Amino acid sequence: MVDLVWFQLLSAALFVIGLYGVLARRSAVLILMSIELMLNAVNINLIAAAAHMEGFGSFSRFDGQLIAIFIITVAAAEVGLALAIVLRMYRNRSTVNVDEIDLMKW
Amino acid sequence: MQWAWLIPVFSFAVAPVIVLAGGRLTALSRVPGGAVLSIAAIGAGFAFFWIALLGWMDASAGTESCYVAAGTEALTCNYERTWFNAGLPGLDGSVALTWGFFVDPLTIAMLGLVTFVALMVQIYSLGYMHGDPRINWYFAVHALFAASMLTIILADSFLLLYVAWELVGVCSYLLIGFWHERPAAREAAKKAFIVTRIGDVGLLVGILLLWREVGTFSMTDAFAAVQAGTMGEGVTIAAALLLFLGAMGKSAQIPFHVWLPDAMEGPTPVSALIHAATMVVAGVFLVARAFPLFEAYNATPLLVVAIVGLVTALVTSTIALVATDIKRILAYSTVSHLGLMMLSLGAFGYTAAIFHLLAHGFAKALLFLGAGSVIHSTEEQEISRLGGLRKVMPLTTLVFAIGAMSLGGIPILAGFWSKDEILQAVSQGRNPAFIVFALITALLSALYMGRALFATFFGKLPQELEHTHESPPVMTVPLALLAILAVGFGFISFNWPGAFGGFGYFVFFHEGHGFEFTWWIGILSGVMAVGAFVFTWMVYERGSISLESARRRFAPLLRVVENKYYFDEIYQWTIDRVVLVFAGFVAFFDRAIVNDIGINGPADTVRRLGVALRLHVTGHLYSYALAMTLGVVALGIFWWLITA
Repeated sequence: MVDLVWFQLLSAALFVIGLYGVLARRSAVLILMSIELMLNAVNINLIAAAAHMEGFGSFSRFDGQLIAIFIITVAAAEVGLALAIVLRMYRNRSTVNVDEIDLMKW
Repeated sequence: MQWAWLIPVFSFAVAPVIVLAGGRLTALSRVPGGAVLSIAAIGAGFAFFWIALLGWMDASAGTESCYVAAGTEALTCNYERTWFNAGLPGLDGSVALTWGFFVDPLTIAMLGLVTFVALMVQIYSLGYMHGDPRINWYFAVHALFAASMLTIILADSFLLLYVAWELVGVCSYLLIGFWHERPAAREAAKKAFIVTRIGDVGLLVGILLLWREVGTFSMTDAFAAVQAGTMGEGVTIAAALLLFLGAMGKSAQIPFHVWLPDAMEGPTPVSALIHAATMVVAGVFLVARAFPLFEAYNATPLLVVAIVGLVTALVTSTIALVATDIKRILAYSTVSHLGLMMLSLGAFGYTAAIFHLLAHGFAKALLFLGAGSVIHSTEEQEISRLGGLRKVMPLTTLVFAIGAMSLGGIPILAGFWSKDEILQAVSQGRNPAFIVFALITALLSALYMGRALFATFFGKLPQELEHTHESPPVMTVPLALLAILAVGFGFISFNWPGAFGGFGYFVFFHEGHGFEFTWWIGILSGVMAVGAFVFTWMVYERGSISLESARRRFAPLLRVVENKYYFDEIYQWTIDRVVLVFAGFVAFFDRAIVNDIGINGPADTVRRLGVALRLHVTGHLYSYALAMTLGVVALGIFWWLITA
């Protein structure tokens, strides 16, 4: 069995790449994709931990998998919503560049 | 008798009606509609006074709401209703505020005076104010004035009394400033209102002090607490003195006397009403009403009352002696006689004070209305420019002479008996110094009344006044009625054979006493009064005595008295140098500290902070995301630090 640390390193790498994407990208669509990356990094972490933590206290293998499935479901719904917002944004302002969408400021 | 509360209600009710519908009523009849309503209301009040009097005579202790009151030992009927219940913190349960009225001898006596004089004055006003464009407003305020005074008289709780007391102040303000086109009238109205207000503050504090001690505003409870000794000596004396402060303001006692002579700027019937019945006697009435309070604990407050009364009587009667305006002479004589009443109360002469209050009320109303008749016909108030009016105004001369002689204390007229009662009370109740000064005041009072009478109606008739004519009957008939009382009122003090033992068995404190006549006082004051009138007659009618040499010799003294002992100047100086300076400091403090720092300061700070803080709302998504990330990282580091 591969050591847990590798999974965690992979997860952390994915998370940081996602974070970088959220902070650095201008396009709303790319930001959404980066958020998905971050969510999936969390999923990897959870499933790896679930596999390794079997028999550890009252944990079972399914706990981590359950949460991961929840996250995938919520993320799907959230992407649906967010893409709808992005679509409206594009219709109204002909752009999805978040730098240009700065109406809610002082 | 349980309907006595209607007496003020009539007049209260017509006042707004006159204001709202007076003009329309006037269009219907020849006389002003407001006057008809107002006179009808006070006439109904006068009729109900007789009902109250007869009801009281029929009543006996133990029936209905009547009982023998503990302080006065007089038959008192007290009708009371709950006004409202108020829950107040710090007291268990709720406080029931009651209002109600007394029907006792003091109330009945005052009711008779006020309703009768107000009725006479209002009928007289029909003639005096004829053709005035604001005549309806005049009668509306008149009705309200009378109603307020009647409420003071009837009130059985200090709270109700205070409300009516302030209403009287407002009405006097409105009436003194009735001709508000004239600056002097405006100033006089303000002066009257403000000066009496200063006293009213004392009254209010006194009432609240009593309420704190007793827990209700009821006079009966307050007096019971005093008599039972549950109220401490200090509190009782303080409350009595505070009430007396209010009485001093309304009754124009030194040093609050300055407003009354200036109140002459109002129409003359108003002066008659203020001086005789409604306003200034309220102070004397208050002291009489709260007598159990003043009398408790060795009657210390009564000594103050006596001294203030004596000083007022003496000082103002000298001013009356040199005043040149006929209304001002009368005004200062009112102050002086109010001082005598206070002195009498202060010397335990409860009966004498009320008796003099009534006798003086009738005579002073007569004098003012007589003076009004003169002013109405001649449009002149300076006695130096008047004279010899007896040839053209015989009836006015007659009634004015009766009023002057009654007030001056010419024997067998009403004022003689009442003044005699006062002198007797003072000689019995206080040490000899008081009676000496009281006798001097009586002499001065006869002198200035003689002077007003002879200088105005006797002597040479100035040429420009030769075509003056007598006033119309609507003015002279009330004068005649008042004159009858000014002559004959004194006789009710005698022990008439039969049921009625005299005034002393009607209005009394502790125990009734019959009429007593101390010969040396009676003869001395009678001789002084007659002598004073003869002296002034010789000066102003015969011209056989000249005052010029005396005037020259006492010139500096005369100047001081003619300037009214510089009271007004002292007040003006105090206001300019002390009050206004202090007020300026307060205004500065209010603007700079309270407003700019206290109120605007926090608001400005919040606004500036908001301006600075809103800059962080950039509208750029990545700055929010960065802030969020950094925040999480910072939290992580923090957590790591505290667990490590």
